[in-house]
Amino acid sequence: MSPLLQVKNVTKKYGGLTANNAISFDVAENEILSVIGPNGAGKSTLFKMIASFTPTTSGEVIYRGERISNLKPHIVARKGVVRTFQETTIFKSMTVRESVVVAQHLRAKASLAGYFWGSKTAKEDVAAFGKYADELLEFLGMWDIRNEQASNLPQGSLRALGIAIGLATDPKVLLLDEPFAGMNHDETMNMVDLVRSVRDERDVTVMLVEHDMPAVMNISDRIVVLNFGEKIAEGTPSEIQNNEKVIEAYLGSVDDEIGM
Amino acid sequence: MEQILANGVYLGSQYAMIALGLTLIFALMNVLNFAHGQMYVIGGFVTYTFYGHWGVPFVLALVMSCVTLAILGALIERYLFAPVIKGSSREESTMLLAAGIAFFLDAVILLVFGEKQRGVPKIVDGVFNWDFRLIMPYDRILICVLAILSIIAFIALMQYTKTGRALRALAQDRTAAQLMGVNVDRYSMIGFALGAMLAGLVGGLLVTITGVNLGMGGATSIKAFMMVMIGGAGVISGAIWGGIILGFMEAIGLALLYQYGDITYLVIFVSLMIFLAVRPQGLMGKPWG
Amino acid sequence: MIFIGVPFAIGVTGRWDFYFTLTSVALLAIASAGVWLTFYIGRINIGQGAFALIGAYVSAILVVKVGWSFWISLPAAGLFAAVVAILIGLPILRLRGVYFAMITLVLTQVVTLTALALPITNGARGISNIPLPSGISVFGIPILPDFAAMESTKLAFYYTACIIMLLTYAALYRLVNSRLGHLCRSMQQNEELASSIGVNISYIRIVIFAISSFFGGLGGAMFGSIAQSVYPSSFQVADSVNFMLNCFLGGLGYVFGPMLGTLVLYFGWDLLFEFGKYQMLIYSTILIIIIRFLPNGLLSIRFSKGGDK
Repeated sequence: MSPLLQVKNVTKKYGGLTANNAISFDVAENEILSVIGPNGAGKSTLFKMIASFTPTTSGEVIYRGERISNLKPHIVARKGVVRTFQETTIFKSMTVRESVVVAQHLRAKASLAGYFWGSKTAKEDVAAFGKYADELLEFLGMWDIRNEQASNLPQGSLRALGIAIGLATDPKVLLLDEPFAGMNHDETMNMVDLVRSVRDERDVTVMLVEHDMPAVMNISDRIVVLNFGEKIAEGTPSEIQNNEKVIEAYLGSVDDEIGM
Repeated sequence: MEQILANGVYLGSQYAMIALGLTLIFALMNVLNFAHGQMYVIGGFVTYTFYGHWGVPFVLALVMSCVTLAILGALIERYLFAPVIKGSSREESTMLLAAGIAFFLDAVILLVFGEKQRGVPKIVDGVFNWDFRLIMPYDRILICVLAILSIIAFIALMQYTKTGRALRALAQDRTAAQLMGVNVDRYSMIGFALGAMLAGLVGGLLVTITGVNLGMGGATSIKAFMMVMIGGAGVISGAIWGGIILGFMEAIGLALLYQYGDITYLVIFVSLMIFLAVRPQGLMGKPWG
Repeated sequence: MIFIGVPFAIGVTGRWDFYFTLTSVALLAIASAGVWLTFYIGRINIGQGAFALIGAYVSAILVVKVGWSFWISLPAAGLFAAVVAILIGLPILRLRGVYFAMITLVLTQVVTLTALALPITNGARGISNIPLPSGISVFGIPILPDFAAMESTKLAFYYTACIIMLLTYAALYRLVNSRLGHLCRSMQQNEELASSIGVNISYIRIVIFAISSFFGGLGGAMFGSIAQSVYPSSFQVADSVNFMLNCFLGGLGYVFGPMLGTLVLYFGWDLLFEFGKYQMLIYSTILIIIIRFLPNGLLSIRFSKGGDK
């Protein structure tokens, strides 16, 4: 089966600095693939290029046989590759439910003018959005906070909201940027289950960037390791844990951090 | 050719001072002081009142302008800007406040100083004439020199004094400055006062040459904004460059296009728009976005 | 209320000049609505004066030099302004905050200077003696009377302005509550996030800016008609700033904010005329006091978060 997404020799240079150097790997459909590496390894930059928020200096990203790198970000999102953000980036003044409703606009069938004049299709869309939002929020365990203003939410809920917004677009590939950051053990476990069920029940391929090693080892089907902008390893969690280059890269953060 | 250069330097130095004040305020408070032009006008009128009306020595009159504007600036910052910045959810409120203050100062100028154009007697007589290649009245030269000296003094202040360092820290990162023990409230006030004072000083200097009247406020504000934008908002070297560039553009434009009058400014504005669209951070600004 | 109450009140008190004031309020409110709309996508627009001036000139030229009916020139003026907005918007709408604001500020000046320079706009003399709007009849049935034939054009203009204003705000309200409104709000709050969920932010920005300038052109064109003249100084930077102030004062979170803001600011300004040279002083003092104590606009008193759902 051909891979769903292919990263082919993707390089990013900022002036004299090379953030990513000829990174290549494939992502199979429905797998959970994590990108890890020490700080400054170029992980977030890579994600930005996959979702086309940053242009590549060279190389391409292929999705379903089509090049998606260097297109406008909203077009890539429309094709089904959606990214969540590293910071707690949300729509501050909207309620949780509103955010999820807005995120569905990609699925709207009526035209903009139709919405303006209140056409029948528009009304149907609006009803459908509300229903889907409710269903999604319940699935993610956010039903109780659905009417809370986003700016009032605690850290963990904000992350979940970020995922909710990403999911609401009905993506095929979801790029999660540090979904477990700043969470304690219980919260992380919850989030791991959540991400897993997103893949299992909603037929989404998930890619993550993360620093939390136990969580990464727990959740990933495969892992790609970056260091100083280069890919240094790729494989299953057990392969990665025993990989010398990886251990070397993380030298100083052995033992507790990566659970070895 | 030399004439254009000389005019450019002359205009540039004045404009640079105005831009410096504005950019300082912007760097500190992220607000474009809409009232900057009015502060310039007040400076001019104060100098006129002391020097032209009451016969006080020119330098003293200039000092009075500086003091007046410094006090005015401090009061405005402390009692109007500071609370609004703290209390508002949107950043546009400060812009609105600045506009309101501009109107207010216009009104005050009208009531206190009247609407007539005022001028003062020349401080130095005579004209420098170099073979008719360069003609510059002595008083202009003097004012230009004074302006350049003030700019140098300002830069020295910012670089070498404790106050200057505090202001620069504040401009770079408010929170970090606070953590380093800088009293942000106090220095915001000082900074604003300093910016206002610069505007007033230029006003006082220029009243000896171009005079001053009520209507100059708005037009000066717009020119000041442009300079700051060209050079890069919030960056000191940017302000100086912005002032110099605008000064030269005006000098060149007026020399070359003098028969077309308004076209000069049209060309300047359109070029500015294109420049800003292409490079919004100006010449020296940090890459934005 | 607007249609019957006001004329009655004016008739009773004999303050005929209020017609002009309130008509102006209505027209300025239309332009301010445009500025409000640009705020809705998170941009500070200090250039509406430019579009009002463009609209005024286009309408005047169409009526005087080409001979069109005013009523046709009105939407034409709006459309022309919108097209200009699209052209200018393409390079500048990606800028934010003060950078965008400053360019729009310069824009007003540029249009004024252009008006002075172009031959078609008659330079500094402007276009004067613009005839009053003619009537519209369809198949010989008069729908709108000829303004020149009326004895009280003031009332006619007043009604016209109010109708257009109401239509504008109705459209605004509908837009805000439609899907486009959702999209705008998402962009206003976080452009990057909106883009990541598939919102074509450049496209929407241009559409909104075009609509906003359309309103500007509309208001300007009507103004030209009432004043029966258009000069390069008809709309200046101060006007652009005022449109912005109207929005701020009423409250940027509320659709009817600019309407209220315009009413308060313009009407207030006019009322203060009694005070002669103290007019500006009192006006600006009140303005400052309001900003100081109600930084989120007037309507924030009544609603905690009003009509933008």
